[in-house]
Amino acid sequence: MKAEVVQKLRQIMGPDGVVVDETELLVYECDALAIFKHPPDAVVFARNTKQVSEVVKLANEYSIPFLPRGTGTGLSGGAMAAEGGILIEMQRMNKILSIDVENRIAVVQPGVVNLHITQAASPLGLYYAPDPSSQMACSIGGNVAENAGGPHCLKYGMTTNHILEVEAVLSDGEIIRLGNSAGEPVGMDLLGAIVGSEGTFAIVTEIVVRLLPKPQAVKTLLAAYHTVEACSQTVSDVIAAGIMPAALEFMDDKAIEAVEASVYKAGYPRDARAALLIEVDGFLEGMEETANAIVEICKKNQAYEIRVARDDQERAQLWLGRKGAFGAMGRISPDMVVMDAVIPRTQLPGVLTEIYRLADHYGLGVANVFHAGDGNLHPLILFDSRRQDQVDKILDLGGDIMKVCVDAGGALSGEHGIGIEKKEFMGLVFNETDLDVMMQVKSVFNPRGLLNPSKVFPTRRSCTEIGKGTTTNTEIIGKRVEAVLLRGPGDH
Amino acid sequence: MTIDGIDAGRVVFPESMEQLSDCISLEKGSIVPVGAGTQLEFGNPLKSADCAISLTRLNRITTYNPAELTIHVEAGVTLQQIQSALSANNQTLPLDPWSGGAATIGGIAATSAQGPLRATGTIRDWIIGMTVVHVDGRRSKTGGRVVKNVTGYDLAKLYTGSLGSLAVIAEISFKLRPRFETTATAIAKFNSLPDVEAVLGTIRTSKLQPIACEWVGPKHELWIRFGEHPQAVESQIRQLPAASWEVVKAEKEREAWEDLRRTHAAMGPTVLRVVAKPSEIRAIVEEYRPSAWIAHAMNGIVLMSVEQPDVIDAARRKYPAIIDRAPAEFRRHKGTFGVRGAAKRLMLEMKQTFDPERRLNPGRHIDGE
Repeated sequence: MKAEVVQKLRQIMGPDGVVVDETELLVYECDALAIFKHPPDAVVFARNTKQVSEVVKLANEYSIPFLPRGTGTGLSGGAMAAEGGILIEMQRMNKILSIDVENRIAVVQPGVVNLHITQAASPLGLYYAPDPSSQMACSIGGNVAENAGGPHCLKYGMTTNHILEVEAVLSDGEIIRLGNSAGEPVGMDLLGAIVGSEGTFAIVTEIVVRLLPKPQAVKTLLAAYHTVEACSQTVSDVIAAGIMPAALEFMDDKAIEAVEASVYKAGYPRDARAALLIEVDGFLEGMEETANAIVEICKKNQAYEIRVARDDQERAQLWLGRKGAFGAMGRISPDMVVMDAVIPRTQLPGVLTEIYRLADHYGLGVANVFHAGDGNLHPLILFDSRRQDQVDKILDLGGDIMKVCVDAGGALSGEHGIGIEKKEFMGLVFNETDLDVMMQVKSVFNPRGLLNPSKVFPTRRSCTEIGKGTTTNTEIIGKRVEAVLLRGPGDH
Repeated sequence: MTIDGIDAGRVVFPESMEQLSDCISLEKGSIVPVGAGTQLEFGNPLKSADCAISLTRLNRITTYNPAELTIHVEAGVTLQQIQSALSANNQTLPLDPWSGGAATIGGIAATSAQGPLRATGTIRDWIIGMTVVHVDGRRSKTGGRVVKNVTGYDLAKLYTGSLGSLAVIAEISFKLRPRFETTATAIAKFNSLPDVEAVLGTIRTSKLQPIACEWVGPKHELWIRFGEHPQAVESQIRQLPAASWEVVKAEKEREAWEDLRRTHAAMGPTVLRVVAKPSEIRAIVEEYRPSAWIAHAMNGIVLMSVEQPDVIDAARRKYPAIIDRAPAEFRRHKGTFGVRGAAKRLMLEMKQTFDPERRLNPGRHIDGE
């Protein structure tokens, strides 16, 4: 990066607000999707909206790519500087500015950790509903960019349903406020378009979120099955019975084996082929009946063991295994890749059978831990990075699994985003016109393509879009394989 | 067909997606998509209508998967049609626009029409995918048919509420929810604004979670609706702050809300939707002194009747305010949305990108103010 630009960045950010040292930049070469790496040319640590705006204006002046980064927990490469440039770190903007109990809203900065909002609101009887599994670490700004989900979005919706208003810096540096405390779009719903635009439309610098009253009662139960089919059927039957669980999580035998062998040991039945973790929440009244109805549905589907948590401690114990499942994979496999796809929930049995068949075909292990209630699959491909023959097959297996999900009427991503990871697969679900229109909308928000380039769209499109292609497909795959070798079990 | 005093040159009634695309691609003049016509007094005045396209014959429910809690419909299907199909499986699409069940779902989406049921969001929160026809006749889709999806940009958010000015909504996929196990509405009459405000303040800081909460003026009535397990509904009603609540259920409840719908219809020709915080409702009513109002008291949205145009300017100096309905003559002098600055610039650029010749419902959206 030109010394002149670095000097101007230091003028905006102050001496401790800019990193350009090559070794230090390596920290920022990827997000939680470590199989794609590319370092930025500079990292700036924003403290306020004005700084973000000025950096963006500077980047425009010199035609340098730029992108925001929260806490880097994203799993699709959204915060990876695919074309270098300036990475705008938002972690120092981490204040909860206000919590308004009567109006049930909180005003927060983008670097605030998701869980911290609930922790701050909790003594006031409120909480923030979307709870991605990384909620202890992920930032709310990143949640907005990715339209993050989580186990409880089955009942409560995704991030987009809980963001009422934002202040954002547009791709030319202009500061804008969109939305309002009632979440009522006025004119076009530009805010709705920005949420989930994977950091390619604008950089969000202040967020007003909706808070909900904490549920008065929660019931959590675990049901174990001898077959995947019976387990899947339970999911459909619970939904068909008119029950809206707060969470409905599926774990297969491999996942249970890993959990039980790890520090996340939750006492799950080890001989189960599959298990469901079901949670209902709401008012105290009627809760017992709803829980009983679920138990009956589990029994009808031959659940051979049903465990209802009697208190908070037992409930925490049941969740421990599910939340730790990704980390626990290290007990049964040296390496893994987390996938994210979504299918119509009635297709679960067929799709799972096909995923197991494909895994056998490629000679790789696959464990399944996922949000069954909304059909959001997370197949975990298990492999040994020391075995080149296994590494070579990962991309093929992943691609085949993706095709199975799309053929079943599904989509590429339920909550992780497309980013860099799945952009080449976009053609599986969208045709040329669909992608043209999306590109057209992007061009309104990001006409020069400098904000977070090389994301979301297939490479050929990204190249025409910006007139150059620094990251070709071959390079990406080369980097993937190289990076896979460096990757261990990640957090989810 | 006459809209805002403009007679449509011709009206076409496509019966398939192909016909819809063909109608649009062959038309070289202005194109006006129309549903059941329940929202014609919302939006900026139409500038021209060479061809009105009625979506009412695109009225098929293409797929309904009860086990998936999803439904896929053509834009001309009425809300009533959808609810009838869903009720057989005890499911619902929790929308209750003031305009009623005769409105087409495409029209409800295009106008983002809404009613008292706000706790479960508005139509934008239930759409999971959309197919639209662009001004050149091309069809494109956004989202998909699954309930949770972040594949590609969420363009349905842009089409929702854009009054057909970006593209014509042709098909919509929705996620659904189980029908409320039971509902009940508690209604009480109070003597003054401060009395209502005090009760609301207590409710808003309590554990209660009404699915609708309407403050109806000038008669100072509060309408609080709960939808839950029967025991949870009963318990919430018991926990309401002391007042002479009349609780209505079942058919009586339905009739009561029909009454409120008529009250809304009788609020006068011009209604302004002021967007504020719940705690600001009283101040808004005190400041602008509307002759009638209905406020979504848990959301801070006040629908108030307006007699003098300058009230709109005054309100917009403090709050976002949308003209909910008004005679064409009134709307010719006051923009419907009152959006300014960078947001307006982006909206105009969006319009320009989708419809550079300004042929889609010209003048009705942001391009008309």
